Amino acid sequence: MSALDFLSAERCSSGVRLVSPLARVLKGDGAVRDNSNIGKVELRGELAVFEPGPDEELARITPRRGLLLTRGSPALACTRARAAGLRAYDVTGALAALELDGEQLLARLTDLDPTSLPAAGAVARGVPAVVQRLAGEKFRLLVPQELGHYVAGVALDAAEGLRE
Amino acid sequence: MRLPPRDGERIDRSRTLTFRYGAQEIDAFAGDTLGSALFASGRRVFSRSFKYHRPRGLLCCTGHCPNCLMTVDGVPNVRVCVEPARAGAVVRAQNVVGSLERDLMAVTDKIGGPFTPVGFYYRTMIRPRRAWPLYERLLRHAAGLGRVGGRPRRFDTEHRRARVLVVGGGRAGRAAALAAAAEGPGVVIVDEGDRLSAADLPGVEVLAPARAIGVYEGGLVPVDADRLLLRFRAERIVVATGALEQPLVFPGNDLVGVMLPSAARRLVEDWALAPGRRAVVIGCDGPGLDIAPILEDAGVEVARRFDLRERPVRALAAEGRKGRLVRLTVDGEAIDADLAIVSGGRQPAYSLLAQAGARVELDPSLGIFVPRELPPGIEAVGAVTGEVGAGATPAPAYAGPKPGGKRFVCLCEDATVKDLSRAVREGFDSLELAKRYTTVTMGPCQGKLCQLASNRLYAQLTGTDSAAIGSTTARPPWTPVELGLLAGRHHEPTKRTSIHFRHEEAGAELLWAGQWKRPHSYGDAAAEVRAVHDDLGVIDVSTLGKILIEGPDAATFLERLYPNRFADLKVGRIRYGVLTSDGGRILDDGTVARIGESLFYVTTTSTGSESVCEWFEWWNAIWVYDVEIVNVTGGLAAVNLAGPRSREVLGRLAGTDVSNEAISYLDARELTVAGVPCLVLRIGFVGELGYELHFASPAGEHVWDSLVGEGARPFGLEPQRVLRLEKQHIIVGQDTDSESTLLSAGMGWLPKLDKEEFVGKWAIELGRERLRERLVGFTASVGELPKEGAQVVVDGRPAGRVTSARRSERAGLIVGLAWVEPDRAQEGAPFAIRSDGATIAAQVALAPFYDPQGERLRS
Repeated sequence: MSALDFLSAERCSSGVRLVSPLARVLKGDGAVRDNSNIGKVELRGELAVFEPGPDEELARITPRRGLLLTRGSPALACTRARAAGLRAYDVTGALAALELDGEQLLARLTDLDPTSLPAAGAVARGVPAVVQRLAGEKFRLLVPQELGHYVAGVALDAAEGLRE
Repeated sequence: MRLPPRDGERIDRSRTLTFRYGAQEIDAFAGDTLGSALFASGRRVFSRSFKYHRPRGLLCCTGHCPNCLMTVDGVPNVRVCVEPARAGAVVRAQNVVGSLERDLMAVTDKIGGPFTPVGFYYRTMIRPRRAWPLYERLLRHAAGLGRVGGRPRRFDTEHRRARVLVVGGGRAGRAAALAAAAEGPGVVIVDEGDRLSAADLPGVEVLAPARAIGVYEGGLVPVDADRLLLRFRAERIVVATGALEQPLVFPGNDLVGVMLPSAARRLVEDWALAPGRRAVVIGCDGPGLDIAPILEDAGVEVARRFDLRERPVRALAAEGRKGRLVRLTVDGEAIDADLAIVSGGRQPAYSLLAQAGARVELDPSLGIFVPRELPPGIEAVGAVTGEVGAGATPAPAYAGPKPGGKRFVCLCEDATVKDLSRAVREGFDSLELAKRYTTVTMGPCQGKLCQLASNRLYAQLTGTDSAAIGSTTARPPWTPVELGLLAGRHHEPTKRTSIHFRHEEAGAELLWAGQWKRPHSYGDAAAEVRAVHDDLGVIDVSTLGKILIEGPDAATFLERLYPNRFADLKVGRIRYGVLTSDGGRILDDGTVARIGESLFYVTTTSTGSESVCEWFEWWNAIWVYDVEIVNVTGGLAAVNLAGPRSREVLGRLAGTDVSNEAISYLDARELTVAGVPCLVLRIGFVGELGYELHFASPAGEHVWDSLVGEGARPFGLEPQRVLRLEKQHIIVGQDTDSESTLLSAGMGWLPKLDKEEFVGKWAIELGRERLRERLVGFTASVGELPKEGAQVVVDGRPAGRVTSARRSERAGLIVGLAWVEPDRAQEGAPFAIRSDGATIAAQVALAPFYDPQGERLRS
């Protein structure tokens, strides 16, 4: 049985240069920042049996499907979740993560209700996303990595529109 | 010339500014609109009408009518009567050839009548037929109002939420907003004027000037806030849009100097301007007639006042000189006047309510249309509900003492009583049909000033009543809106693989493939083909769909989905699979690798990942197998390393034995390549010895660089097409369509009909006897390349079509795929291809054009 190591960038040798999908569009500490390196694990099964660790947060998408975000090792999180009877997949590379400041900037990207986060919906003209409120007016958008560059470009443009 | 300062005037006489109108400098006060300042400077003609180019002056001063449309700072169709004056603005007339005073196109009004009846482009511009291109050019040049141009402007979109959204800032709207604010936060009021003050509305967010464009499902109300489109979702929508003064229909009703009471009121009270010198007032209700003392107070002589509630008027006509009113004749009495204040009563501005789903019906006691049965979450307050007071109902149209004179029902579209009468005579007796034919209510005012008049006229012309005629469908936008605001920022969702920027850096020519941007080639497609055949090539195939199927029922699940067998697939082996619909049609294709007893890795076409995943989930919602279906497309990059040197390079980068014995054709292995864990699939993607490497996306550039560093030449989609065509590999969607089956596509070997059940089995069994066409390979001598879609011809009749064709340097021929009649699907059978006027001789070739035995890819 495959351990699905090929899903995990974490399993690469130390000399391998890993590149964020947002690396070429987001630089520095502006209103939109690259948060893609956070570990992401897709969980399937009875989520109630799984207790997230201190460095983890679990976004329940359905009662049987969740997205676990971890500042630790996604591979270890997968192992722990599987031990708990869940099926777990390292999707760190599948999702780009953008962190952005300001409720008004968020409102220029999505019609999701900022008072009802986390929520799954669409951003930047139909891109599927999970949106979280981190603290205050700080938000995180998780989007398919292949659309991450595009979404980040839209977010930067929206931020520029707010400055005008 | 301004009137002496008056209480409540909107202008601040201590603050002046100037703007340009053509070559003139126009003085204005703060609080003026561009229109009021132009009026103060003596200008009376503000526009030329849409079709007849008749002079038009201020009519409503509320931004509802089309009479003051001008181009401001390059933006066309600005209603200058409500556009605030600003220093340095550049205002120009539009829709004129010459000037507003001398418009050469006004000849249409004098002699164009016989050529421009309603629907004229269907009847008078059809002969001689060969002249149509000339007519079309002329018409297109003459049609329309302003011209798009000027500096591009930025438009943004913002999503907003409100507990209560009040549209309309009149007395009723303000009261509703304050009452809602007393119940809690989240109250927003939108008003198109600029008078609302947040200080007067504590607890209410004031958006003014701003305009609600429409009401859509789910309580969505887009609001035009200048260059920002606010998309409101509101729990409650309160419509307080008031009522609209209606014009009267009579000969000369469009002359400069004919105004609605609202225009005269604003000119006097807001901007201290006398609207004329000598006036006639004709009104149906109190608000329409109350203008008389206001005029007198402004020094305007009110020559006559006609209260239609007391005595109906039977004949009414206006005469003008150079487009300006000079005389009004009422029931035979001629009255010299330069101002006619006319009002046909007030019609509730119900459009937003109708868009929200309210029923609109005639109130016979008032003779106007009122909203009824409001949907949940929608409320109406004030005059929009129909509370406009009692008034007389005017005649649908008045005639003058002598025949003639245009009577305009729709000022926006220059549609007259004569036009509507003609439409009814020609059989357009339904209001909706007539609307499309005459375009009445389809102009910039969107029926605000012509809906009621056209209804009354249709009722009269068809001998029915207004209730039976009904109203036309109310659709957004209710107020004029710039297309740029609706379009928003120009962003097009684009998918990029994790290796995308390496392709850009290598100078790849990129093309759209669905939402993906992919390399067509890197400058020399033929050389890229040669590299794969003779040495080593690498292509980015990260776009392929990738799905994990995991669970104890995984094999059974796939066995039931696919026509071929998967239950017997050994761990570490791969099998080609084609998905069919339950009607037996080809949906998608790809490979299925078993990477564990209960774990499969499925690839799909680049465009199929989401639809295949949904297909799997849809079926499992019925079958309820214990499997997880996980789309890992984005999480994994993939490259195909192909060519005689691929084994050597893979072995070196993996540091392990990758010989034919270690990894044979159609084996799946997990190896670490250049430090990156990969799932390696040995498949015949482009017909040469090759390996497909699937690995975590963030390592995309690293793996790509490692392979290119070993001498692999990047190749794009164009060389890939050539390579796959040489092997007669079909591309689902390119070589197949929604009618293609496995049998017709020449894959009769694939379905295992001895399986008890699979999706599409019955249809495949049935289709064996009903084959209407076959997909075959073909060759042609190198020469004209048939276009995709070119016609296959046999004995001079159409007998199929080409789906793919390329020049194969290796085969020395044109090679392709085509649909032909089944009896032509024989090796060497000749047929012709008609492409771009050329006839190309071709022959059926059933075996691959290159390495037909597959020796190279199995080596």
